[in-house]
Amino acid sequence: MTKFKTILATMFVATLLVTSCKKGDPVIPNEEEVITTLIYTLTPNGGGSDIVLSFRDLDGDGGNAPVITGGTLATNTTYSGVLKLMNEQEDPAENTTDEIWEENKDHEFFFQSTISGLSVSYDDQDADGNPVGINTTLTTVDAGSGTLKITLRHQPNKFAEGASEGDITNAGGETDIEVTFDVDVQ
Amino acid sequence: MFNRIFFILLFIPVLTFSQNCSLTLSGHIEDANTGSPLEYVDVVVESTSIGTVTDSKGIFTISNLCKGEYHIILSYIGYESKKVFVTLDHNVTKKITLEPSENKLNEVIITAKNTIKTTQNVASLNQRSIVDNATENLGNMLTAVVGVSALKTGNGIAKPVIHGLYGNRLTILNNGVTQSGQQWGNDHSPEIDPLVANKIRVIKGTSALEYMGSNLGNVVLVEPKRIYRDPHLHGSAHYSLETNGLSNGLHLQLQKYNPKISWKINGTLKKSGDKRTANYYLTNTGAQEANLAIQLEKKFSEKIFSDFYLSTYNTELGILRGAHIGNLTDLEEAFQRETPFFTSDQFSYSIASPKQKVNHHLLKIHSKYLIDETQQFNITFAGQYDNRNEYDVRRGGRSETPALSLQQFSYFIEAKYKKEFLDDFLLKSGIQLNAIDNANNPQTGILPLIPDYLSYETGIYLVGSKKTEKSYFQLGARYDNVNQNVAAISTTLPREIIRYENTFHKWGTSFGWKYTINDAILLSYNIGLATRNPAINELYSFGLHQGVSGIEEGNINLQTEKSFKTTLGFNTNSDTKFVLDILAYYQKVNDYIFLEPQDEIRLTIRGAFPVFKYKQTNAEIFGADISSKYQINPSFNFKINYSYIRGVDLKNNLFLINLPSNTIHSSIAYKAIKPLKIGKKSLENFTLKLSDQYVFKQNNILPEQDFVAAPDAYNLLNMKIATDLQLSKTRLRFTFKIENILNVSYRDYLNRQRYFADDLGINAVLGIGITF
Repeated sequence: MTKFKTILATMFVATLLVTSCKKGDPVIPNEEEVITTLIYTLTPNGGGSDIVLSFRDLDGDGGNAPVITGGTLATNTTYSGVLKLMNEQEDPAENTTDEIWEENKDHEFFFQSTISGLSVSYDDQDADGNPVGINTTLTTVDAGSGTLKITLRHQPNKFAEGASEGDITNAGGETDIEVTFDVDVQ
Repeated sequence: MFNRIFFILLFIPVLTFSQNCSLTLSGHIEDANTGSPLEYVDVVVESTSIGTVTDSKGIFTISNLCKGEYHIILSYIGYESKKVFVTLDHNVTKKITLEPSENKLNEVIITAKNTIKTTQNVASLNQRSIVDNATENLGNMLTAVVGVSALKTGNGIAKPVIHGLYGNRLTILNNGVTQSGQQWGNDHSPEIDPLVANKIRVIKGTSALEYMGSNLGNVVLVEPKRIYRDPHLHGSAHYSLETNGLSNGLHLQLQKYNPKISWKINGTLKKSGDKRTANYYLTNTGAQEANLAIQLEKKFSEKIFSDFYLSTYNTELGILRGAHIGNLTDLEEAFQRETPFFTSDQFSYSIASPKQKVNHHLLKIHSKYLIDETQQFNITFAGQYDNRNEYDVRRGGRSETPALSLQQFSYFIEAKYKKEFLDDFLLKSGIQLNAIDNANNPQTGILPLIPDYLSYETGIYLVGSKKTEKSYFQLGARYDNVNQNVAAISTTLPREIIRYENTFHKWGTSFGWKYTINDAILLSYNIGLATRNPAINELYSFGLHQGVSGIEEGNINLQTEKSFKTTLGFNTNSDTKFVLDILAYYQKVNDYIFLEPQDEIRLTIRGAFPVFKYKQTNAEIFGADISSKYQINPSFNFKINYSYIRGVDLKNNLFLINLPSNTIHSSIAYKAIKPLKIGKKSLENFTLKLSDQYVFKQNNILPEQDFVAAPDAYNLLNMKIATDLQLSKTRLRFTFKIENILNVSYRDYLNRQRYFADDLGINAVLGIGITF
């Protein structure tokens, strides 16, 4: 039985040993894939100051709510639109737009507005000749107020019906970005 | 022992010199469960034509045998055939037991020789049913037991659900060691290869006092058998082929007994491609698996026995590509689609992201010390390593970097003591210690869903049981002390480490009574109280969880759950013409922890997500498992099983989510009483079974509790043919099954893939086994 007394003693000591440990500090992951910021800059073709729509959520999914800035556009105006995506958790901020452009066949932005007459057309294309949506033209007609929704789909079927004209219905894929801006046209 | 063999070896030349051929081998053969004698058992001396059958008392005698070593083959309809090794140096009498080949509805056999070991309700799968279903994973295999369902993600990932409890609330023991992995995830299968087991038992009880883990009552025990005492190399090989997913599986087992050291080795290889529903392929649902288990045993003396077990489980599982979504809009779009997005019209074996890669290794050393005839002491040391990596479809070439990567080490020490007193009183007690070290790999580039932690659990239990002429009583208690040391990362900027330290007290107690009314009826009653401490994910998980299509938030204020469960069992003797088993249960859990959808919709750059938070309520789960069998004549039997379950959230007056639908399983089976002769060979144990599985619609759920309505009821038709063929030294077994014969397209409430795609279509499975 001495053997078993030894075993019990060992177990007791083992208990003390393990229960007195503390979990070491975890390594904080480098969230390089995160997109914190989307900026849609609209430059009026006839001259004038830029309209900047922006979405910023610096701490990601949790924590503080995102800051969303809408804008006011003029009626019957054509704007050149440029999208910029960033990860501002990094210092300096990382430009994610380039990463999307490198995989342009696998990405497409879609623009949907509730304002009548507001339309967005594509000014860029991938190697297959399908649009990407980083560079666009936005055209307004009548006055009105509503929203502009920008969606980025990863691995959509760009050849699906309507997808290359900016219709999201049949595009599929999964959503990487979906942000909605309040927009007035006056 | 060694000396004795040396002695025999020394005299073999002498013995052969004076060849003695007047020895008699006799034996007594009985049913392993009931102890009743078996008549007409075929007894054959291997590689000879010498043979006989047993008489009405189960006794056989073979005379005029020479001195030497023999293998005796025993075969009998409805029983597993057995090969027994005999050394004949004088007249030998052996007592041999045979295992019934059919799964009993319950392990209930009422006879004078009744050997009840527990008052809890136990159902088991024997080796034959494990091997006949070699293509299934553990979760799917267990659904053969009434009252057990599987919570699935596609077909490859299945968690057992017993009486509505799963994951953190269910304990699974792999060869006596509490399985330690990532139980919290609904899409995490238990990392166990069921093919290494000779028996899998399911305890549908009130409080699992003898085992570490959740002690709310239900336990799954995966048990490899001891090595046969046969000094020759024996083994078995099994190959299976499935048409759905073109899956191939190979399982090999070898074993050899040696007084110095006995060994057994098990290996499994499986590969399958895209599964198919009635109408389309489930793209990216292939899987591959490679497992190995080594078992060593040594008997040091009549008192000390030790064994060593090492197993490795390795799998790579594809997740339906169309089930990978970015946000709620995608999910709603997926509901509208007839076939999931990304569905290919080509079959493929390739596995791309989203996928899971899981490795699980277990090392166990166990020793048994027989202090004297009435006392036994057991000690076990075990270590486990669980490495889980989950891959998502990611941007910028990151798909090959896991999005979730968890490494868990766990250490287990157990000391058990058992003493049999006079008057059929048995006392069991033990002390257990479990330490878990769980860490996230920061390489993912994603904030972890659950934090890094260390957890220590120390438990102690005492169970007493007493047998009288008609009754069996069991009373016991258990206490565990749980310590959690957590290091989480903040969700706000700047990221920093937040530490939590918790201590929980967990206890359980249960009382059971089994009463034999007469030779035909047995009643059992169990009552148990138990608590369960909140798990790490319930306390601290934070982030977007693809599994719930929402943002999941832990709740640091959770208290332990308090459970009260009672079961009432009615069993009739399983050897009679009409068998009826009923198990009714009621469980009330105060402070039941569940994931509650919040009113808040959280806006992220990927769109809006619902927020789910762990909350506590009082819950009630009750139901009944009913199984019955009618033996029409010796060849035909008809079986029908019904399981009913319902769960209610008493505080919010809602139903509990993720509870199985009610089901009815029925079957009609034909069994050939005599071997079917084909020339000189005969086909033994020929069976043909037609079965039907009806699953009701889950009506006990409100529309606002889920993203989409529960799927409709469905009915599946299956068939199975099986037979054995005895050759001179080897034995073959053939099985052929067709599942979902009518190629019905359906969706199952407990399969989370139902949001995106149909369940499996028709599947034919061919299995060939060889035992030598």
